[in-house]
Amino acid sequence: MGGCLGFFSDVKGGQQAVGGTRQGPMGGLEVGGGGGGGGNHGGPNDAVDHFFRARGQPALCSQIELSLSASKLRDRDVMSKSDPMAVVYLRKRDGMLEELGRTEVILNSLDPTWIGKISLAYHFETIQHLVFHIYDVDTKYHNVPVKMLKLSDQDFLGEASCVLSEIVTKQSRSLTLSLHNKNSQLGLRNLGTLTIHAEEPVASRTAVEITFFCSHLENKDMFSKSDPFLRISRVVESGGTLPICKTEVINNDLNPIWRPLCLSMQQFGSKEDPLVIECFDFKTSGNHALIGKLQKSMADLEKLHKERNGANFTLPASHHSHEKVLKSQLFVDQFCEKQLYSFLDYISSGFELNFMVAVDFTASNGNPRNPDSLHYIDPSGRYNSYQQAIMEVGEVIQFYDSDRRFPAWGFGGRTYGGTVSHCFNLNGSPDGYEVEGVEGIMAAYAGALHNVALAGPTLFGPVINRAAQTAGQSISYDNSKYHILLIITDGVLTDQQETMDALVRASDLPLSVLIVGVGTADFTQMEKLDADNGVRLESSTGRVATRDIVQFVPMREVHRGTISVVQALLEELPGQFLTYMRTRNITPRTQMPL
Amino acid sequence: MANSHHRRLEVTVISGEDLRINDRPIKNNAFVTVKADSCGLPSSQDSTKPDAQSESHPCWDEKLHVDLPAGSRYILVEVCRRTSSAGDKLVATAWIPVSDFVGDYTPENYLHFLSYRLRDAKGLRNGIINISVRVVSSSYKGTLSSSSRLPPSVPEFRMPVDRERNGGTVTGMPVWYPNQWKS
Repeated sequence: MGGCLGFFSDVKGGQQAVGGTRQGPMGGLEVGGGGGGGGNHGGPNDAVDHFFRARGQPALCSQIELSLSASKLRDRDVMSKSDPMAVVYLRKRDGMLEELGRTEVILNSLDPTWIGKISLAYHFETIQHLVFHIYDVDTKYHNVPVKMLKLSDQDFLGEASCVLSEIVTKQSRSLTLSLHNKNSQLGLRNLGTLTIHAEEPVASRTAVEITFFCSHLENKDMFSKSDPFLRISRVVESGGTLPICKTEVINNDLNPIWRPLCLSMQQFGSKEDPLVIECFDFKTSGNHALIGKLQKSMADLEKLHKERNGANFTLPASHHSHEKVLKSQLFVDQFCEKQLYSFLDYISSGFELNFMVAVDFTASNGNPRNPDSLHYIDPSGRYNSYQQAIMEVGEVIQFYDSDRRFPAWGFGGRTYGGTVSHCFNLNGSPDGYEVEGVEGIMAAYAGALHNVALAGPTLFGPVINRAAQTAGQSISYDNSKYHILLIITDGVLTDQQETMDALVRASDLPLSVLIVGVGTADFTQMEKLDADNGVRLESSTGRVATRDIVQFVPMREVHRGTISVVQALLEELPGQFLTYMRTRNITPRTQMPL
Repeated sequence: MANSHHRRLEVTVISGEDLRINDRPIKNNAFVTVKADSCGLPSSQDSTKPDAQSESHPCWDEKLHVDLPAGSRYILVEVCRRTSSAGDKLVATAWIPVSDFVGDYTPENYLHFLSYRLRDAKGLRNGIINISVRVVSSSYKGTLSSSSRLPPSVPEFRMPVDRERNGGTVTGMPVWYPNQWKS
């Protein structure tokens, strides 16, 4: 895990709980050295996530299964109806199609409902373009496995395409598309329709919050008492065990009570699966001494809790003794089953993301007419850094906002009034601060470059306060909107303290702040705002940030993997969203409001 | 002014971090008292049970109820340690401005998760306290009403201008200009 990478004396990190940490409302409090910032997705994938991230690839995300059905397909066969099969592709950035999977062939039907499902990973931070091709499979190929079929030999029945976010944001998680010809000629003939349904095949959303305590633990330390911690492992099919979590270390206590552990069903399997619970005495050398172990399933632990009984630890047989049953006992103080909804559960039930943009109009960007300026609009159509950031973030988030009305502001510029404003409406209108769609933001930005004189200094406080106001006020109407403020800036902050104060005040609201640094300035100071090192932001009044709501990335950071650095910012968003919702026990709606 | 109502608060004292006495982590039996600052007038207060475990990171997770009289500007959170021999010893204090959970943009009954820097009797930093606050009911001039979704009031950015500590030190706080964001 993250905290163990080559730090020999990271004793404090080694003593933290791992894997079963509760989603605490307080940013740095509950996640230990091994959890890391991305740990909000849930324990089991932390190590794998870290593996991928270290290699520059996007972290694992939820798996989605697509089910397809079609209706009114064209009849290609003379004697009988078409025998359709569907192929699903992902259109990559370069336009090439990558096949994701195929359904089976259904004989003799113009309204097929395929059983075969296509799996793919849902990545919030990218736009996943899906392309569907329907083929009529010739009779002579009917006994050939679907994978071996050469598509060029089959009769093409129609094509459809969409973006994955369009499907998952619908309450029904289904989308119906009209089929058309390959060349997108909206043909004269009706080629039928294709319906795609997306499902998260998560076995169960159940999680268990469990509090353990022990009594009469053996003393393994010479001059003081043991420093016990528990490690819980799952028994795998081969007979061995796979650790799933460990508690924090309690120093010097033979009757410890640990903080509650939250384990998802993905981690422990089922309530009947055997779990091995080992109690160790923590040693700074890393060679922890085993105090005792026992084997119980989740259902057994629930029984222990109900009956208020303890289970005895045993010491496994070794070459000089038999298995010993110890006096030390394990008790379950609390046992609570709850539902952990996924990000897509919230989204498809009507929760939305509200995208807000703030653009830096300070003089350090350079005169927009000058091709060297960061605000230069290239007549050839090539995007400048500001446009790129707006597009990359906006085009992903726009699918999650049903009315597509985005607040857009500028700061550090001199508007018509003649005074420098640190939060003016980008569209130049005196009272309406919203624009329509990402194209509206781009148009307002281009327009503002003509009407606003670059000035300064670079202050974030007013824009953050304005976004916090929007977020706070929206809670009165409905608590299902989560707000994202994108600040694009070229320079270093002048109001570091006011910005921190504004962020601390906003940290308890449904708001995340993404900061993109463009140009070549030294952004070290910005990295202090993005509290990834675990230090919580503190305001001048002594208030400490409730959670870490800031992500910062300099645009010039080297490209890692297949997603842009700006889109890497978006990876943390589902986690921040879930932390906010879960700590307030806000669950997905079962019915869409009218 | 923001606090013209008499309010009843539900304060959940969640946990504390990095608490020390004489520069050593506090061992156990820390408890928290929450009361409203009512300028010398008698006020209600409520305390948690002592946390018998968890060294410098005590966990209480206890709900307390405190009355917030009209005109109160702060609630006071005190962390003390109960010892069998010497009674209760004050470890650290935090002053929480009422404006942090009343009169900001959020609805009246919003559950606020707040964290504050604690300071000891000398005014030195001594850990962090994590709480959540919710206004349960508020009454104005004798009429009692359960808090419903009141429209957000005009935001007030009142920051304490001075705070007197036992050590006689005074901390200056920046005064905020409201409506800073309008162009």
